[in-house]
Amino acid sequence: MSGNPPLIVNTKCECGHQNPVGTVLCEACGNPLLDGADSARPLEMRYDGKARRSQKTNPGVIDRVWNFFSSVKIAIYLIVLTLLGSTLGTVFPQESTFLHIDPSTYYKQRYGTAGDIYYRLGLSHTYESWWFITLLVMIGASLVICSLDRVLPLYKALSRQQIRKHRRFLTRQRVALATKVAEGPEDWVSKAVQPLKKQGYRVMTDGGALLAEKHRFSRWGPYIIHIGLIIFLLAVLARGLPGLHMDQHLAFPQGEIVHIPDTSYYLVNERFTVEFYKDEEMPEEFRGKKVLPKLYETKAVLYECTADCGDPSREPKLAKVASHAIQVNDPLSYKGMKAYQFDYDLTPVLRSVTPKLVNSATGESYGSFKLEMKNPQRSFTAGPYTLELKEKYMEFGLSEEGKPISKSPYPNEPAFFFLIKGPKLPAGGEPYFYFPKQNDKAEFQQDAINDKLGGQGRFLELEVGDMSGVDVSESTSYLNVRVDRAMPFVWVGAGIVMLGLVLGFYWQHRRIWLTVGEGELTLGAHTNKNWYGLRREVSSFLKKMDINADEKSLENGGDPA
Amino acid sequence: MGKARRPVQIMILVLIVLLGGYAVGTTAFGGDGKPKEGGRAPSFELLGLDGKTHSLDEYQGRPVVLNFWGSWCAPCVKEMPALEAQWEKWKAHGVIVVGINVGEDQMTVQNFVNGVGVSFPVLMDQDREAVRSYGISPLPTTFFITAKGTIDTIHIGQLDLGTLDAQIGKLVNR
Amino acid sequence: MSLLDFSNDVFIAAFFLYSAAFMLFTIAIMGRRWSGREPEEHSARWGRAAFIASSLGLLCHLAYFFTRWAGGGHIPVSNMYEFMTFLSMMVMVAFTVIFSIYRKILLGLFSVPISIIVMAYAAVFPQEVQPLIPSLRSIYLNIHVTLAAFGESFFAVAFAAGLMYLLRTVNFNSSSKSDKRQQRGVEFTLFIIIVIIGFLASVFAFRGAGYETVFIRSNVTVDNPGQKDSTIEKVSYKMPPIVAPYHSEIESFQSILGIKKPLFEAPFWMKGVNAGRKLNTVIWSLLTGAVLYGVLRLLVRKPLGRALQPVLDGIDEGDLDEITYRAIAIGFPIFTLGALIFAMIWAQVAWGRFWGWDPKEVWALVTWLFYSAYLHLRLARGWQGRRSAWLAVLGFLIVMFTLVGVNLVIAGLHSYAGTD
Repeated sequence: MSGNPPLIVNTKCECGHQNPVGTVLCEACGNPLLDGADSARPLEMRYDGKARRSQKTNPGVIDRVWNFFSSVKIAIYLIVLTLLGSTLGTVFPQESTFLHIDPSTYYKQRYGTAGDIYYRLGLSHTYESWWFITLLVMIGASLVICSLDRVLPLYKALSRQQIRKHRRFLTRQRVALATKVAEGPEDWVSKAVQPLKKQGYRVMTDGGALLAEKHRFSRWGPYIIHIGLIIFLLAVLARGLPGLHMDQHLAFPQGEIVHIPDTSYYLVNERFTVEFYKDEEMPEEFRGKKVLPKLYETKAVLYECTADCGDPSREPKLAKVASHAIQVNDPLSYKGMKAYQFDYDLTPVLRSVTPKLVNSATGESYGSFKLEMKNPQRSFTAGPYTLELKEKYMEFGLSEEGKPISKSPYPNEPAFFFLIKGPKLPAGGEPYFYFPKQNDKAEFQQDAINDKLGGQGRFLELEVGDMSGVDVSESTSYLNVRVDRAMPFVWVGAGIVMLGLVLGFYWQHRRIWLTVGEGELTLGAHTNKNWYGLRREVSSFLKKMDINADEKSLENGGDPA
Repeated sequence: MGKARRPVQIMILVLIVLLGGYAVGTTAFGGDGKPKEGGRAPSFELLGLDGKTHSLDEYQGRPVVLNFWGSWCAPCVKEMPALEAQWEKWKAHGVIVVGINVGEDQMTVQNFVNGVGVSFPVLMDQDREAVRSYGISPLPTTFFITAKGTIDTIHIGQLDLGTLDAQIGKLVNR
Repeated sequence: MSLLDFSNDVFIAAFFLYSAAFMLFTIAIMGRRWSGREPEEHSARWGRAAFIASSLGLLCHLAYFFTRWAGGGHIPVSNMYEFMTFLSMMVMVAFTVIFSIYRKILLGLFSVPISIIVMAYAAVFPQEVQPLIPSLRSIYLNIHVTLAAFGESFFAVAFAAGLMYLLRTVNFNSSSKSDKRQQRGVEFTLFIIIVIIGFLASVFAFRGAGYETVFIRSNVTVDNPGQKDSTIEKVSYKMPPIVAPYHSEIESFQSILGIKKPLFEAPFWMKGVNAGRKLNTVIWSLLTGAVLYGVLRLLVRKPLGRALQPVLDGIDEGDLDEITYRAIAIGFPIFTLGALIFAMIWAQVAWGRFWGWDPKEVWALVTWLFYSAYLHLRLARGWQGRRSAWLAVLGFLIVMFTLVGVNLVIAGLHSYAGTD
């Protein structure tokens, strides 16, 4: 607070009221206690001149900590430090913007030495760093303590107001007037009640003294804002509690049921659609040049496991609980769990093929069977023949030793190795390599391999007639599955902040005190904001009372403090 | 607040310290949710090649070597014989080696196990749930878990016989 | 497409009406001391005319906005051109609101040019109506962007009033250390404004001349040993290249003003091929701004701040202080609602997280923290008058950095706002 009060002060006012240490204006009559009677500066009206809680002559450790957080100056330092700290985090992208990087090398590679220093200083995760969180915690502490320390004295001061104020209190308001009036004190005051009421004031009189007040609630605005902010910060903190928060990015190949880990839910992407704007929907300048996406949509169905859950040796029993067409701004939502459209991949993924076993010499077909890429059957029959599946390779390749291996678990270049038994075949069976994809068949020379394995006179082939024999998952939709049970509290906090802002900024607490005596009217008026509006209101009130006072002439000196 | 002022002040300050400590502790030092050395090993329930469901709990009281592997991953394939040898050597001491296959189907895993001659239990994580809870990114990754269920060491990359032996020895002597 | 044509026409009408209003405001203030006039009456009469012109301009601007909305099928705040035209419109709305409270003609002299500059800045960007990409297709586009811009426009008016306060109160005749610092500060602020005008002047001059030079650069990246990936990047300069992109080659070069080849190459740490172009634009803006500033200095033969001071003679500085504060007090709740709360709601709906420390989000928070510091300093620490005016000026610079600078310098999720 501005100015240090002298160490020993007589806190008893001339009106007889005993004030606590730190009081600026007498709690009863408003007489300024701290500076000389001859000063004409406008009064310091914060908290109506009451002593703040934390002002004590002899502070201990707890008082010191309390006073530290109770200081607005400290609060402003905290705000400015947080402001500067947050800007640091925007110099380079934060680690959290990437899904798969190794930050210890990425920053150096991408941004050179500056990036390396940035990473080493820990600025690549500014907003999760201990010092940033500490700043936020200190702001939270300051919010609580500052508010508590001020709202209680202010409440007391405003709920016990004296109507008759000391003359010095009135003349040293920023809006003040002293002028001669002809009428008697009580007549003038009773005449003044009506016009003030019309202006929306609550009016109280005490003989020749009057107090008019309106929109006191606006004074609580800042404290409501602070309460809202505290709730907001606590809610953000609560999001981290176990069980209240879940955040996963999952792949959903079209048509496949996928378990959502850590839940009893399963989700199927029944169909994923990407739409682009047609040429006629685009401005002329873009036609034929730009491709703009119009829609990403995943038709999703959510299932809940009802029995045999969590035991991988059994098939879970599922019940459909929700379905929704998930779009970018329109997630699927079920009991607090939400699935957001996040990304997509239009690469088709082979799921199964249904080849026919044919006699390449005669063209005779022995029938077909379905060959799944994942968990296939191990033996098939086609006509008189049985095919035993011996090996499968999802992405066919050769190891350093020249043995066939799979290079990845994804069916990019699948290959299957069968042993076929039946009429006119060797007793041990005929080995047969099968590449379902035409490209692979040529690339890996399926025929040459089989000729070598089966020898002369080989006559059986596996063939896929047309596309009906191929089952692919056309695309994969990536969804972001989240649970955030603390969100309602975040919104409540934000709502309270808004309420406080509106109350505090769009209304102003206005008070007019006046006393009439010895043929003189002394008027003082105070507001917490918008002096211009107050002066206009006082001037128009005085006009109704037949006193001509220009708005400007009401102004009393320059800036307080 | 009147006379109750001091207790109220103390209560508020204590609350701020507790909540603040929690906030700084969880966000700044809590990490990314991946298990760390010294932390508890996350539990799992996975289907074994034997057709039964296995969980980490059933190995409680025994040191566990948890190896995440895939048949397509060359270093995984290369370290398999070392794992098998150590399994044979240490199983009398109560050590159990568990292989968790990442994302492949039963046929692939079975063929691989038969081909290489693995005799320790192998589990299949087709939906990659254990992969997620253990925060695995490159393969192979091996977790050395004490008899009490805490993670002693995490080894990323191929293991050789010597390291493996030393690690298991350390685990047994705990 | 006639609705959109009409929309463009009324937009241009709004631009000229604002320019006319600016001139009328100038006459209303500067012409006070013309011989044979009552200063008060003169100001009132011309001020009324000016306000009528600016209000007509605002009507045209509103007509532009709603016809473009109708013609384009979505609210026109989805790219940089639309956002800036909207912001300039909101500055005029904020000005009209504050003007109707305080009736200070002088406010027009400083607020209207802000709107005109923002409008001109909008014209730098491509103007066609673009269809919305999926992430923008949301009702929150309407609410979040409009409210944020509306709140920011009050900060713009506070900036105008704050700058006026400084011009009015800084002692230009003193040579004491602190006064000198204030003088330099005011002069620097005016210089920045002139550099922005210089940027606009160079963009439109070279665009009018149809200037273009193209650079190409091939990037070779070695992913795996023995496997090279090479991509070719192309960048088209619309201003003569003083600086070429780092490690680039000229594809086509148009010489102008005696510039036959680039004078420099961008430093190595400017990796992106566009970084060179942006640096070039900055250099041209500074050059043009410096020339403009030099010409003005030669004309008035004294610092611009001192030359402007007499314009503000007789204005009550207390009123200016009050207007600055009032504008911020009105704008702050709107800004909070639009730029933070609705931003969080939209982020929650679109991405599932209400806050992600994206650069744009961070800078909106920085702006909010700055103005909360302003309010605390003013309400609890008694910072009024000059210090408060400086904060109002600085605050709006932060707002402009959040709106423009973040897109130019730091790209994040909001990069789709279409940057140049």
